[in-house]
Amino acid sequence: MELIEILRGVELFEGLSEEELKKVASLCMKRTFQENQIIARQDSHGEELFIIQEGFVEVAVQTQGGRKVIVNLGNGQTIGEMSLIDQGRRSATVRALSSPTIVQIIEQPDFAQLCESECRIGYIVMQNIAIDLSFRLRQRNINDIIRG
Amino acid sequence: MTVYKVSIVVADGSHPGAILNLDHRPIEGETININGNLFLILEVIELMPPRGKFQYLHLTCIPQAS
Repeated sequence: MELIEILRGVELFEGLSEEELKKVASLCMKRTFQENQIIARQDSHGEELFIIQEGFVEVAVQTQGGRKVIVNLGNGQTIGEMSLIDQGRRSATVRALSSPTIVQIIEQPDFAQLCESECRIGYIVMQNIAIDLSFRLRQRNINDIIRG
Repeated sequence: MTVYKVSIVVADGSHPGAILNLDHRPIEGETININGNLFLILEVIELMPPRGKFQYLHLTCIPQAS
């Protein structure tokens, strides 16, 4: 599948034109991970946005009470988009669950620069980040209700 | 092309759940595969209104009996 087609199925880029998707695609680097390989580590400085193209990853946090797996993420999901907004450290450790796990990586500074120079792209991406956060919050709420 | 972004919660807590995109609308009674683990879909609800080509669904599942 062509990269543009893959990006078209990613919510973060919903609403972008073909030309805008091509600009995003020009920043992508494909990387393949094997099962159990760490993709991003909690508390490290996040400089990349990850787009899961194939496979599954596990998102887990280390707390004083121990390690807790928050969720598994599959194709089309993104990791690291929060750092576009807050430039904060990684909030969780992300580990590949399958071999191969194929990820498209965008360097955060390059993506931030694109969002700044192309205001429409920036506006749409920021709006989509907000929608995704809303989705994850609702998912977490339902999870808590169902599982107590 | 409709993309179904689904949140999956496993009712018995045996799995942390998942978020992924599907190319078809899942239905109750169907089996869904999360990284090789099979789960039976008990309930499908709309989590948020559709937006563009995306539909947002929540699935409540239990592990599929072997």
